[in-house]
Amino acid sequence: MTAAPAIEVRHLTKDFRVGLKGVKLRAVDDLSLSIPRGQVYGLLGPNGCGKSTTLKVVLGLVPATAGEVSILGLPSATAEARARTGFLPEAPYFHKFLSGRELVRYCAHLSGVPSDRVEAAVEEAVALVDLREAAGRLVGTYSKGMLQRIGLAQAIVHDPELVILDEPTAGVDPVGAAAIGRIIEAMRARGKTVVLCSHLLGQVEQVCDRVAIMDKGRLVLEGAVAEVLERRDRHVLTVDALTPAALAAAEAALVAHGARLSAVTHPRRSLEELFRELVTGSRDA
Amino acid sequence: MKAACHRSLWIARITFLEAIRQRFFAFLFILGAALVLASGAVRVFDFGHSELKFLADFGFGGLFLFGSILGVVMTAQLFFAEIDNRTALTLLAKPLSRAEFLAGKFLGIWAVLGVFVLVLAALLAAMLGWRAAELAQLAVERRLAPPECDLAGLALYASLQWLRLGVIVAMVLAVAAAARTFLFAVVVGALAVLAGQLQWLSQELLLKPAETGLGHAALWLLTHLLPNLQQFNLGDALVLAPHQVTAGTLPWVFLSGVAYVVAFLVLATFLFRRREI
Repeated sequence: MTAAPAIEVRHLTKDFRVGLKGVKLRAVDDLSLSIPRGQVYGLLGPNGCGKSTTLKVVLGLVPATAGEVSILGLPSATAEARARTGFLPEAPYFHKFLSGRELVRYCAHLSGVPSDRVEAAVEEAVALVDLREAAGRLVGTYSKGMLQRIGLAQAIVHDPELVILDEPTAGVDPVGAAAIGRIIEAMRARGKTVVLCSHLLGQVEQVCDRVAIMDKGRLVLEGAVAEVLERRDRHVLTVDALTPAALAAAEAALVAHGARLSAVTHPRRSLEELFRELVTGSRDA
Repeated sequence: MKAACHRSLWIARITFLEAIRQRFFAFLFILGAALVLASGAVRVFDFGHSELKFLADFGFGGLFLFGSILGVVMTAQLFFAEIDNRTALTLLAKPLSRAEFLAGKFLGIWAVLGVFVLVLAALLAAMLGWRAAELAQLAVERRLAPPECDLAGLALYASLQWLRLGVIVAMVLAVAAAARTFLFAVVVGALAVLAGQLQWLSQELLLKPAETGLGHAALWLLTHLLPNLQQFNLGDALVLAPHQVTAGTLPWVFLSGVAYVVAFLVLATFLFRRREI
């Protein structure tokens, strides 16, 4: 028997009533998705496209107008399903009077970590997000990047099978965003399923196995990253030490075989790669 | 069940820590304590009443007034802080039911009010004990009967006030669970407390045969749905004239108080059940 997908969404529709007249606003429109286990899954789309609403319905924070959602084969609104899920909301806010360690401990107790395992689980989560040194400081003194990382720690402290991250890199500098990317990859290496909502498309492309793109509440594209980005009608050759004579000969050979050389350019690295290369070791401590 | 209690107690713990950091709590706490302590200085203005009754009324008034304000405002504030700051989003995404969340909120706020009641009652007990001892000495010298002042009765009265504040907190939580804004919850919560304080009036009107039809139905609803908060005000009887309290009064007041707390928490859970976070 095959294991149930990490998240299964079937014909989900969510309407909100706005204003005094209760005008209907459709946030999610007949969405169906199946997110396989053990992968990093990107849920993309412009602001207001229904991503966050979908995640809230998945977590049982908002009731669906129509449709069904299950987590790891369990109805999503059940405590049992949520016990196997970790969630980092968009722009998270935590009690400022708690230290990072106290916050993660609080969440560990709420997530059902056995009392004798709490301290070890807290230290493990804090170490995974690389906040061990700052964990004793009050959350109110944290930078945005540190807040996101402590948010990640509270989401994973109970070792969930599924981790849902809503804009984990919002407001975080490229170094911090790269650190979060590494944490996501570490979670995948541990066999976790990660659902990632992000506007950092470069990072999504790097870390996600599959993506879904939503627009106006509807699913417009879904598939493996490699498949959806590949242009099978075109090819790229990367050549070292290309001389003008070699280029002319290569172009003639291609024409002789019915192909056409459409562009010769130098490969570029991304600004993010350049930034990370130059600003190495810098952390927002 | 054990796990649910564990989670609720953690919510209560953090709510307690959050509440005692509020300036509003500190302000009313200090004001209430100052009122009780000031009663010693102004006891000469006792308007012809017994001096001990004057002192006790100051303390009872401080407990009642500031306790009620704290109960209404702090409950609404701490509930909406979780919603507006979106910490509820993080918490309710965990295996924590909404009933556990509300129970934790209730326990945390009630614990803070317990500290408030305990400190004010201790100050009042010190004031009353000190003055009662002096007046008893004077009475012996004048060969008069010493004034009655039962400090154990004061402890009972403080417990009743704590329970009354529990009813208020549960009632305001039910209002907040349905309300969209903090201000609405405070205004409606305060009105509900006022109506509870005047509930005995509807009881009396209900007994009059003149009330029929719609008026009668409204009075019946008011009488049976709203708690009679006046029934907790047994201070004079418990502290200054203990023999006036009949045997069945206290158990009835305690039981009805607990029943209202449970009923309002169930109502709050029902109203909060499908709220969009």
